[in-house]
Amino acid sequence: MSVSSVLSILFMIGGFFFFFTATAGLLRFPDFYTRLHATGKGDTLAVLLALIGISIHEGITLNALKILLIAVFMFLAQPTATHAISKAGMRRGLEPWTKKEEEQ
Amino acid sequence: MIHVSDDIIIRTLARILVPFIQLYALYVIMHGHYSPGGGFQGGVILGASMVLLLITHGYGETKVRFSERGAVIFSSIGLLIYSGIGTLCLVFFGNFLDYGKLSTLLQVVPAHARSLGILGVELGVGFAVMAVMFSIFFDISTSGELPVDE
Amino acid sequence: MVMTTFFLGIGVGLCILVFFVLYRVVFGPGIFNRVAAISAIGTKTLVILLIIGYLYDRIDMFVDISMVYALLNFIGTLAVAKYLEMEGERK
Repeated sequence: MSVSSVLSILFMIGGFFFFFTATAGLLRFPDFYTRLHATGKGDTLAVLLALIGISIHEGITLNALKILLIAVFMFLAQPTATHAISKAGMRRGLEPWTKKEEEQ
Repeated sequence: MIHVSDDIIIRTLARILVPFIQLYALYVIMHGHYSPGGGFQGGVILGASMVLLLITHGYGETKVRFSERGAVIFSSIGLLIYSGIGTLCLVFFGNFLDYGKLSTLLQVVPAHARSLGILGVELGVGFAVMAVMFSIFFDISTSGELPVDE
Repeated sequence: MVMTTFFLGIGVGLCILVFFVLYRVVFGPGIFNRVAAISAIGTKTLVILLIIGYLYDRIDMFVDISMVYALLNFIGTLAVAKYLEMEGERK
């Protein structure tokens, strides 16, 4: 088990952990905007860690560079998509969830 | 739907990303013989980049780069490239799209002439698909009339 | 041998997570929840594609496919968000 294999396993386990928590947040949070928090931030970090983990396992080849390019693109594009969909929700008049409704 | 987006984040990111998307589409067209890709797939990605420019910047800024009349001309140019290469092979006493007979015109080995012929045909198909994707999206989203933000 | 089994386990785990997100696609109240869940499914599919490419020992082919899927997922989400925003203003 060389060093690159151990590092790759560590990164993949971290990526899977963040995917799991993002999915748990998407299912259990009470409102649309809170669910966007969970999937916008958690999924982006998880994809970053998983792609770095796969590229470390390949070594220094052309494929590893292409996978890192995909990671940079996801880092730029995923928060923009989340921003666009949340702004559309705001314009249509979706009300945020407040705690006072829950207690009654 | 074709309206200038009043959000500076989306506009800036679309302006950064569109050249790289087009460069990647050109890579997909050129490497059709070795990795998954080819003319149709690269043309779809080129058309998607034009659609991205259209929904974030409106028709006024896109018209400078690629108007609707340009889309009609471009699809015809793509078809002309495809049929032109095929007919050129007919002129040199071969079948339709028989690229091996082009080796006397380009003065290379027949295997090299076949490779160049396939590349030219894929480029033609890519141009035609990009123009048609842009034209379909424009016609459906404005439903026949011109957009009113100039 | 160890790496193959490990990647296979991660791939199966991600597939199970996709099934859980599918619940939000079907039962999400309103369209906005559904769009956010579809974007999340697309992100997970990207990693599953790369893992499948590694298992079949042909990763240079699957890298191109996953890049195209990331592009189309991003542009699709932007287009749907623009449509929903504009439809509200016209009414």
